[in-house]
Amino acid sequence: MIELEFKKEELPLVEKAICNSIRERVEKFNFNGAIINLSGGVDSSLVTKLTSLAIGNKKTYALILPEEGLTPEKDIEDAIKLCKDLNINYEIIPINSPLKAFEISLVNVEGDREWGITNLKPRVRMIYAYFYANAKKLLVVGTSNKTELLLGYGTKYGDLAADIYPIGDLYKTQVWQLAEYVNIPTDIVKKKPSAGLWKGQTDEEEIGYTYFQIDRVLFCLVELELSVRETAEFLNISEDAVNDLYERIVKNEHKRRTPTITKISRMCLDKDWRYPVERF
Amino acid sequence: MKKLRVFLAQLSTKLGDVKGNEEKILEALEAAKREKVNLLVTPELSTLGYGSGDIYLDKVNENLESLERIKERVDDLYSIIGYVEKDNYGFFYNSACLINKKSIIGNYRKVQLVNYRLFDEKRYFKRGAKLPVFDIGDIKIGILICEDVWFPEPSRAMALRGADLIVVLGASPFERFKKEVWENFLIQRARDNILPFVFCNQAGCQDGVNYLGYSMYVSAAGKIVKTGKLLEEDYVVVEVDLEESRRLRRRDTRLRELRREILEELLRAYDEMEDDRA
Repeated sequence: MIELEFKKEELPLVEKAICNSIRERVEKFNFNGAIINLSGGVDSSLVTKLTSLAIGNKKTYALILPEEGLTPEKDIEDAIKLCKDLNINYEIIPINSPLKAFEISLVNVEGDREWGITNLKPRVRMIYAYFYANAKKLLVVGTSNKTELLLGYGTKYGDLAADIYPIGDLYKTQVWQLAEYVNIPTDIVKKKPSAGLWKGQTDEEEIGYTYFQIDRVLFCLVELELSVRETAEFLNISEDAVNDLYERIVKNEHKRRTPTITKISRMCLDKDWRYPVERF
Repeated sequence: MKKLRVFLAQLSTKLGDVKGNEEKILEALEAAKREKVNLLVTPELSTLGYGSGDIYLDKVNENLESLERIKERVDDLYSIIGYVEKDNYGFFYNSACLINKKSIIGNYRKVQLVNYRLFDEKRYFKRGAKLPVFDIGDIKIGILICEDVWFPEPSRAMALRGADLIVVLGASPFERFKKEVWENFLIQRARDNILPFVFCNQAGCQDGVNYLGYSMYVSAAGKIVKTGKLLEEDYVVVEVDLEESRRLRRRDTRLRELRREILEELLRAYDEMEDDRA
């Protein structure tokens, strides 16, 4: 029994649980507010709206960081419209010039420069988010969802860099549902998901499966704790496809962890020492 | 009709916030006095808060001092407070004490510690092994803590010891379908023993974990009579019908038909299972 889609009556509670967690973190550490890198996609739009619901529009900041010449105008428009609708603080800063500066200084590097530069983009965006966070004492709210976190579909210290992941326990399917429930504009919800790192890039093409397929496989592996073979049988798909996704989960554990510390003492900080983040 | 007015203080306690939790407990105590109830219940580990982290190893003494101060404020009202107990050996327990007229008149230690997924109670606490009932005036109550009610045995023992009511303290996190899980367990246990159950659960959110709230009174017939809010702090006052169970037991023969030889057979089965694993 795949209970991936939320039932109608679950949605208000899910919304509330997420808003509570954002509010608690902001209040516990006396932040002046929270900041989100807003791309105009469904994940960041949803997180922006939930943050504004949780702590109020005056304390919510969005950064719109397009790469001119690559980011679709429609994304920028959608992002701006959302900020205006929510009446939150926002800035638009193209990332082209810092990106250019990095590229020039790294021009002599051998190897897969292109891949390095692709990942520079979310990392430059991260730098802006944390600059604002420092300057204005804001919490950086991440926009990664459970599907991305499981597959490792994100850039380490790029878009994965954040203080909290409020939608990190929602599969993409559920993100769409919740986005619809909190009235994110249809244009945004219906948009083809894309990391926006190169022309024509879409998540589903890059991963090789549709989110509909991916989420069902992940649900079986993670929530129902089925084996690769059982999952393939259960969903009536090839074992290779399931294994492909399973391998991604395994390979990307490091993206879901703080860096592994080599244990020397009795009290190794990532292993033996356990304290809540919101500690009293 | 014999009734017991119970005040379920569905508090949003925080792990390690002994001072803040104490304020909330004392506030609830004042509200309960105004409501003229017979019994007040707080959530599991309410003095030290519930969560996952080594704070349990650091703040037990603070939580005991806090309990002393809370005790001083309890007069005629019977109060059940979840706290961390420390024994003479220096071992900790996930406990609940029954306080009346400024003194502790009963204590219960959680018997089924939770140690899966996000829970790691065995990292901090020793398991209890006693299932007593306590007198509140002329009625008997049993106290259970959270997971204890997910097993049939603890409440069964208390029913056999003549409990009129089972009080459950919880700190159960919210997750999908958890509301239904609690409804089902409480209804099931009420039906097993033909006894009313009250459940007082933690609310609020810490470290990305929301607590369910949803405190509840389930009647001896297994009906949900009243529930608290979901996820939010709430004071839930319920009137527990103490006669219904005896009325139902006239014709419902389940408890009286329990047989010693079956319990012995159960123990033999248990021992066989244990031997098999060796």
